[in-house]
Amino acid sequence: MAILSLQNVSKHFDTDGQTVHALRGVSLAVESGEFVALVGRSGCGKSTLLHLAGAMDFPSEGVVLIDGVASSSLDDAKQTRLRREKVGFIFQSFQLLHTLTVQENVELPLLLAGKPHARGEALRRLQWVELDGLGTRYPHQLSGGQMQRVAIARALVHSPKIVLADEPTGNLDTSTGHVILSLLQRLTREQQTATIMATHSTEATTVCDTLVRLRDGRIEEVARR
Amino acid sequence: MLRLKLFYRLMVRPLFREPVRLALTVLAVAFGVAVVLAIDLAGNAAAGSFHSSMETLAGDNDLEVVASGGVPESVVATLATYPSPLQISPRIEDFAVLVNSQQTLPLIGVDLIAEASRYAALQSSTESATRSPEPGADSLNHLTDPQSVWVSSSLNMHAGDQLALLINDRVYDCSIRGVYPDSSGGESAILMDIAGAQRILDRFGRVDRILIKLPPGADIDAAQRELKKVLPPGVEIRPQGTGTEENRKMLAAFRWNLRLLSYIALVVGAFLIYNTISVSVVRRRTEIGIVRAVGASRTDVLCAFLGEAACLGIAGAFLGLPLGRIMASGAVKLMALTVESLYVSSRPGSIALTPLSVFWALLIGVGVSVISALSPAREAMNVSPADAMAQGRREYIAGTHMRRDLLIASLLEVLGVIAAQAPAIGGKPLLGYLATILIIAASAYAMPALVSFLSWATSGLLNRLVGIEALLAARSLTAALRRTSVLVAALATAVAMMVSVGIMVGSFRQTVVSWMNTQLPADLYLRPAGDPAADRHPTISLDLTERIARLPGVAAVDRLRAYEISYDGMPATMASIDLRVLHSYRSSDFFSARPTEEVLGQLRGQNNVIVSEPFTYKHNVKAGDSLALSLGETQANFKIIDVYYDYASERGYILMDRDTMLRYLPDPAPSNLAVFVTQGASVQDVRNSIQAIAAGHRILIFSDRDLRTEAIRIFDRTFAITYALEAVAVLVAVMGIAGALVALVIDRRRELGLMRFLGASSSQIHKLILVEAGLLGFLANLAGLVLGYFLSLILVFVINKQSFGWTIRFHWPVAVILGALSFVYVATILSGLYPARVAARLNPLGVIHEE
Ligand SMILES: Nc1ncnc2c1ncn2[C@@H]1O[C@H](COP(=O)(O)OP(=O)(O)O)[C@@H](O)[C@H]1O
Ligand SMILES: [Mg+2]
Repeated sequence: MAILSLQNVSKHFDTDGQTVHALRGVSLAVESGEFVALVGRSGCGKSTLLHLAGAMDFPSEGVVLIDGVASSSLDDAKQTRLRREKVGFIFQSFQLLHTLTVQENVELPLLLAGKPHARGEALRRLQWVELDGLGTRYPHQLSGGQMQRVAIARALVHSPKIVLADEPTGNLDTSTGHVILSLLQRLTREQQTATIMATHSTEATTVCDTLVRLRDGRIEEVARR
Repeated sequence: MLRLKLFYRLMVRPLFREPVRLALTVLAVAFGVAVVLAIDLAGNAAAGSFHSSMETLAGDNDLEVVASGGVPESVVATLATYPSPLQISPRIEDFAVLVNSQQTLPLIGVDLIAEASRYAALQSSTESATRSPEPGADSLNHLTDPQSVWVSSSLNMHAGDQLALLINDRVYDCSIRGVYPDSSGGESAILMDIAGAQRILDRFGRVDRILIKLPPGADIDAAQRELKKVLPPGVEIRPQGTGTEENRKMLAAFRWNLRLLSYIALVVGAFLIYNTISVSVVRRRTEIGIVRAVGASRTDVLCAFLGEAACLGIAGAFLGLPLGRIMASGAVKLMALTVESLYVSSRPGSIALTPLSVFWALLIGVGVSVISALSPAREAMNVSPADAMAQGRREYIAGTHMRRDLLIASLLEVLGVIAAQAPAIGGKPLLGYLATILIIAASAYAMPALVSFLSWATSGLLNRLVGIEALLAARSLTAALRRTSVLVAALATAVAMMVSVGIMVGSFRQTVVSWMNTQLPADLYLRPAGDPAADRHPTISLDLTERIARLPGVAAVDRLRAYEISYDGMPATMASIDLRVLHSYRSSDFFSARPTEEVLGQLRGQNNVIVSEPFTYKHNVKAGDSLALSLGETQANFKIIDVYYDYASERGYILMDRDTMLRYLPDPAPSNLAVFVTQGASVQDVRNSIQAIAAGHRILIFSDRDLRTEAIRIFDRTFAITYALEAVAVLVAVMGIAGALVALVIDRRRELGLMRFLGASSSQIHKLILVEAGLLGFLANLAGLVLGYFLSLILVFVINKQSFGWTIRFHWPVAVILGALSFVYVATILSGLYPARVAARLNPLGVIHEE
């Protein structure tokens, strides 16, 4: 069974009396170990889809099943618990806390969840992303690519089943972006996570298992390779 | 015009985007301004009243003749027969208590027959009020009857009413013969004929004051010199109103200190304005860059931020005006109590919000705001356009120079310590105040280092105790070090003030308590009924005194007689004690530390006096000096043989042997009695029998314990106003913390949103902000405690000593301080509730993608 499935999901926002339809009747299933690239123009609904997939938001219509549980059935506390256990987020602008060291950034999700052995787990994730030895540095002492690798380590620190990356290469130059993409591909494989990555990059298509093309909130094309 | 529009668009309008924060900042300024205004208005009202109480009916005269213990009536004759024409009016001036309302009013005796023409208003109003067929004649018949009184219209009584008056220790049923209109705002008084007043007060052959009006155009100074020659040496002639001036002078130190205390709230407000403008500058670096790039000059930027501060200041000041007016009514009540128990009988005048005080309040509000904004505004001015736009929004890590700041702090500290050693200037502890300011400034400079050290030192422990939220809170506070330091400094200043004043008052209280334990050796103390005041000395009838002395079970009676005098241009109290009763004082409380018997023995029968500690400071004298005292018509020299500790009143005390005083001032009636009970007799029995023979007299009997309790009650009442001032300063600081936390939440919304993505629950976010508030409170309490301790040393040993001349023994009022600190701590955490709620309710989706 798919670890993540969206069934006929719509999402609309009401702002200033106007309704924006961000997603219209989207259905999608993602398996563990599958690397999905979500492409489409800016404003087509990529981020919205990721938020729904991470139980950061509820669908207006349809159902989002995360590991078999409908996200709309969860209250705030249960949503939080679900994120702590099953979802890791990666952002375009890295979103590291500048006041914390690299290893503190990585262990943060575990600490927030009150899990033990946070430091050890964090150091292991830093090895995964080949940053061992940089744990005591502060984010501003790192390069962009390194920062994104820290963010990836953080997204994986609690061994989530789902990893959601919103334009992770958007702030990086092409070659660094490529390194990040291969890293995500490798870790998806090794950790058997369901990874969905929203991206502009055409290069992404070469590393992903499934390519989902969005246009105006609808799935235009699903290509498996 | 165009610029104003731009200013409004760029600087003023953004303020309204965070209405809560704006409101809190403006309120903080408003409270600061209000407190200063309130203390100023209340001080004026409290001090303004002396001249009205006794001067209401004095009229417009040029000179007055006074003498310690009263002016002999022969002086009236001398003046009346003086070659050049003088208009003289002798007066008796005392106090009476309205038995029904327990209100104390001035009792004034004037020569109604001689001055009938001058009191025309009184006569005519009498007529209209009584509507009797022969009003004038009726009034005159009763004129010299001591039971005939005239009252001012503000008492709302009518001719023909009966009025029970407590005068000294007796109640008299007086008839109101007439009502006269109050000449100034509701200053009531009781008027009597002078002969009646002399009889009722047992003051034969003496008057209290003679007012002199010179012919128009006469040279007042010359007349004063000429008249001095014909007067006995002990009698003083001086411009009318000198007494009022002396009272004002006596009150000056008290008012000064209160005023300075009121500025603390303003200092706290200044920190908060500094913080608000700093935040505004940091947040708008990019904006500054853009505006500079499109043509704004450095000065434009500087003016814009100063203008922002000025707007906050103006808004705060306008809000502070009505607030201050309201607070003033409360303050004047508290101040009047203090003034009355420590200094002089007064009833607060009306509070007058003059254009001048309005102007001052506005100036203070705007001035303080603009000055506090100067440094952040200069920083804004120096932002380079390219830099600002390239870097975008920078965090607050930059902008602190810890090492340099620590250096400045230690320099200021050293200067503060030096200033604290300096003597008073013109009787005012100016350098003492400077020392407090320097030390507050030093602590502000040292704050960044302290904050980062403490958060570093405690973060491990906190992390273990409170959890990850503590680590995050500590980190974010140190990351925004400058902002945090300013907040901590603001709250710490308020806390320090609480602590230092708390220590000072607590030390003072403890000193008074232990002093009283040595001061009250007798078993029972008696005084006439009525509210006690520092300058009123009603007497107990002589025959009652003698009957008490003869009661079985009474071993001895010490008679104390006090007079209100003017010494060296300042009011003072001159008193005598009965040295035949030698168990007066239990242990030595003299500067020389000699035994009591030895010191008092030297007083007996000789022109020797002992003076109280405050007296020596006011008049710059010491043991061995001699004092020229006027007593009645004579002037005599007295030698100060020792100085004693006295905490009962801030007025100076001169104490001599009763026999010595009686030689000059023969009135034997005592003001207070101390009764010693024979060994083995029951104090309660003696008390009962005193009560029995005192029927018909209104006297109050206190045991030593009662007296101590009462003294402490008065003491606490006296310092009520300082507690009120502290509360306002803390309120201002806490409001500032709340406002600043709101700003902090808004500036960190991206981070807080991110935390939710990373698995933080909304209650964890809530807790995070509360922990930050708690940390701020903890740091401020700690810093405030240390700073407060140093300030208290200055308060106790420099400012108090130089303004009032009391030796206070240092004492930690642990319970009070712990209570105050916990109160501040709880208040800080409560102030975090609203920002915490804002933070917990942030929509993470909305904020995470902003950049
Ligand atoms: N919280 C929101 N409120 C209103 N409209 C939103 C909100 N989030 C997204 N939208 C709108 O939904 C559409 C899809 O946005 P988004 O998912 O962010 O697109 P993408 O990430 O593909 O650029 C856009 O038109 C956007 O304006
Ligand atoms: Mg997007």
